[in-house]
Amino acid sequence: MKMLFAEAPAPKLDLGKKLLLLNWPFLLLIVSIALVGAASLYSVAGGALEPWASRHVVRFCFGLALLFAVAFSDIRWWLRGAYPLYLVALALMLLVPVIGVESGGARRWLGYEELSFQPSEMMKLALVLALARYYQWLPPEKIWRPDALLPPILMIGLPVLLALAQPDLGTAALFAIIGGGILFLAGVSWFYFGAAILGVIVALPHAWEKLHDYQRERVLTFIDPARDPLGSGYHILQSKIAIGSGGFAGKGFMEGTQAQLNFLPEKHTDFIFTMFSEEMGFIGAVVLLALYLLALAFITYMALRCRSIFAKLVAAGVGLTLFAYVFINVAMVTGLVPVVGVPLPLVSYGGTSMLTMIIGLGFVLNAHVNRRVTFRRSEVRALW
Amino acid sequence: MRRVIRKWLPEKKMKALHYGAKKKPDYTRKQSYRFSRRALLVGGAQAGLFGLLGWRLHQLQVLESSDYRLLSDENRMMMQLVAPARGSIYDRFGAVIAEDKENLRLLVLPAFCKSLPGTLDALSRIVPVSSSTRDRVMRAARRQSGYYPVLVAEGLTWRQFALLNVLAPQIPGMRTDRSAYRKYYHSRPMAHVVGYVGMAGKTEVDLDPVMRLPGFRTGRTGVEKAFDTELRGSPGSIKYEVDVHGRVVRELDAKPSTRGRDLVLSIDHHLQTVALDRIKDHRVASIVVLDIATGGILAMASTPTFDPNDVAFDVNLERWRELGRNPDHPLHNRAIRGQYPPGSTFKVVTALAGLHAGVIDANETMSCPGGYSVGRKRFRCWKAHGGGINVHQAIKQSCDTYFYETAKRMGINHLAAVSRHLGLGRTYDCGLAGEKPGLIPDEAWKRAALMEAWYTGETVIAGIGQGFVSTTPLQLAVMVARVATGRAVLPKLVISSKQQSEPWPLLQLDPKHLEIVRNGMVGVVNEPGGTARRSALEIPNMLMAGKTGTSQVVSTHNEHLLSAWERETHALFIAYAPADAPRYAAACVVEHGGGGSAAAAPVVRDVITEALLRDPAGRPTFVAKNDVPAAVAAAGDVR
Repeated sequence: MKMLFAEAPAPKLDLGKKLLLLNWPFLLLIVSIALVGAASLYSVAGGALEPWASRHVVRFCFGLALLFAVAFSDIRWWLRGAYPLYLVALALMLLVPVIGVESGGARRWLGYEELSFQPSEMMKLALVLALARYYQWLPPEKIWRPDALLPPILMIGLPVLLALAQPDLGTAALFAIIGGGILFLAGVSWFYFGAAILGVIVALPHAWEKLHDYQRERVLTFIDPARDPLGSGYHILQSKIAIGSGGFAGKGFMEGTQAQLNFLPEKHTDFIFTMFSEEMGFIGAVVLLALYLLALAFITYMALRCRSIFAKLVAAGVGLTLFAYVFINVAMVTGLVPVVGVPLPLVSYGGTSMLTMIIGLGFVLNAHVNRRVTFRRSEVRALW
Repeated sequence: MRRVIRKWLPEKKMKALHYGAKKKPDYTRKQSYRFSRRALLVGGAQAGLFGLLGWRLHQLQVLESSDYRLLSDENRMMMQLVAPARGSIYDRFGAVIAEDKENLRLLVLPAFCKSLPGTLDALSRIVPVSSSTRDRVMRAARRQSGYYPVLVAEGLTWRQFALLNVLAPQIPGMRTDRSAYRKYYHSRPMAHVVGYVGMAGKTEVDLDPVMRLPGFRTGRTGVEKAFDTELRGSPGSIKYEVDVHGRVVRELDAKPSTRGRDLVLSIDHHLQTVALDRIKDHRVASIVVLDIATGGILAMASTPTFDPNDVAFDVNLERWRELGRNPDHPLHNRAIRGQYPPGSTFKVVTALAGLHAGVIDANETMSCPGGYSVGRKRFRCWKAHGGGINVHQAIKQSCDTYFYETAKRMGINHLAAVSRHLGLGRTYDCGLAGEKPGLIPDEAWKRAALMEAWYTGETVIAGIGQGFVSTTPLQLAVMVARVATGRAVLPKLVISSKQQSEPWPLLQLDPKHLEIVRNGMVGVVNEPGGTARRSALEIPNMLMAGKTGTSQVVSTHNEHLLSAWERETHALFIAYAPADAPRYAAACVVEHGGGGSAAAAPVVRDVITEALLRDPAGRPTFVAKNDVPAAVAAAGDVR
């Protein structure tokens, strides 16, 4: 028992040992979720591998290779690389509006979209690593101090502001959820969270009164696109009809009518859950959600078993990301929250978001493989 | 087992269990416990929120499933957007310039066809379906949702339309509808002003779902573009119930579309036609006629021109390529996009600026030996005018030497300030897309744009409207209107229901100075020795005031590189009439037309004569029926 928290030198791990230490059941779970995605994409295309299902599988395999690469890499690299990676992601996010402005004409907007997507995806992982790195460095007895809270809030606040400026409410919310969650897990006092929530509740009506009418209108439409009934509100209605008409047992694989129909422009990306639950019904939808929940439980279990706070927070932070993605996506297509354009991880078609998620899961497995590793003070002290 | 217990027990009890505990608390261990507690808490919260999702799915898929199934299975609901009618465009007396005409069309909804080629075969028995149309339809069907209608044919005859409607039950997936196409009247003279409509560009389509409707057109140039949002109106929607074969069972709900606003232009299409006829003989030319009192543009013609009916609706590809290939660019509105050195017409400005600065007065005379020297550089006058040239004579005979000296005395910055005060070097945003600002140079501009200091020689040639100075015909017309009235006239193209009643604000110039310049301009046309003596009005008791301009296009040592036509000078003429009580102002530029007095002045004389005889500014204007901004239809709930 005494050995549990002692500063023992980390065990040397070769590849063979790492392979044994890897959480294989978890990996199986990931693969099965991705296969559900491939099957859905096959169905969306009307029973064809082209154009989505085959590419989804190829991308997933590529992602799997990256996952292994990340999982078997030395965790110390990532400890050392956390801050530089964060700075690079931040610089890229800053660069986005600059480049966007420069390319004039009609292409500007698209180019802007294309580029803005990538840095913020990278930032999701970089933020997790950087915050975990910070709390590995911070002596635990100082966590309660207000000045120790300042750097992480800055680390979270900058990307949130940059995402809001784009403007991309969904990504900003994701950053805030992930960042806040990690602070909570790292042990920041309940008091601060209570104070932050109270502050927002008190400040909100005042800020609202200060706004002009047209600004309020803009904010309302931003939050609730159903005010624009020809736009996204219509999609949500169609999505609800599709899900609802699936019923308890579903219409059967490739038998969905509603999702093939109609005005779901992103039925292979953000609205894939709609099609899945139309065809597979309540049973299928609950099973898919259960798979995700199982994956989240695995991640929590792995985080608990890690010895260093860095590994714990990295694993739990990626878990939070996965959870936020799944929850926001499903809540969005069922009409619980406004449409913000968040894909369903591993199932939706789309390269970048899947890559982010799968590399993130690579970090979870890395933390798991290195669960017995602790860091020497000198390793933690050096900035990089 | 104990490890698990440790995680759950609070610190104090732990100590009781652990005899070897130190006095100083082990913060690392504490943090680890706290992490475990909180991770489990977060995990619990995640499970709870997933439970919420499960509850929601239960609600949708089990409790309310039958409602949704009804909507989905037996009667699929379909919503179709209805394109609004585009507002008409009238000239000032109510002659229709552009309006929507009925267009009978044939569409298919690929999702409802048993087989798309089969449907097209069936249709081709009534309406000719070419193989290229067939390709286009098949491609569109593959690219977009099968529930967006794809256009097969338009401009059907009534007979075809009726036959198709009779056969509709036998041809699944077919739809007919009555939409509109845009027809332009007086199309060649009005082409540049009114512009034309075209298919929406890709970015526009992404912004507004209405644009995806087959056959929906938006303004591409001219008034059609500048007032596109007003003309467009707002779309309506129809909700249908359709059965599994895609046949309409009934209409559930309809929200009518709101027709776009009608526009009344200040243009008089008759005067416009006369103006175009008069400049048509020149290869490239443009003319602008303004109503001095209101600033309304009465005519704005540019040649070569084109027919918007060829490019707006049923694009005539042959004609379109020809327009693109033409080196004279017929699609360009020269009156607002042609930027020319104003040449001697600019002397009006130089004279006013000189008088305003006090560097010359009405009585000072200079002598013109046929040239002027600044340092070692010599600037030529077009002829040796001899001695005794005062400002009146200088304008009348267009003496370069006089204005070289005047410009040099006052400096470029003062000249530029007065030019801008007279409305040059800027755009007016009067409702024409693509206006160019021209250029009124000064020292600051040259430092910023070319990073060079200003030279006196450049001031000197700017005094006669050469060098960096460039203006558009519309700007010249505004300038002459301002000189004629002494007020800051701005051009307007659209007559709104609430007319401006108060006159334009006065210019910050001495009325005496304006009077001197105006007399000079009267002399140009009406006194012996004036440069446009031959273009005096032939109406008794009515005088026109004007100024000729002949602007050099290339410097002398580059001339051999260009063709004869390209080497020729631009001919300009600005005028207003009647001289004693100004009503109309005009500016004409004939590209490479030779001398201003020979090429441009007679054109302006004829057009102004027509304007004076017809007097469009003196008669009441047309008021369109719905000439109020279309009330933005409150976006109702379409569910």
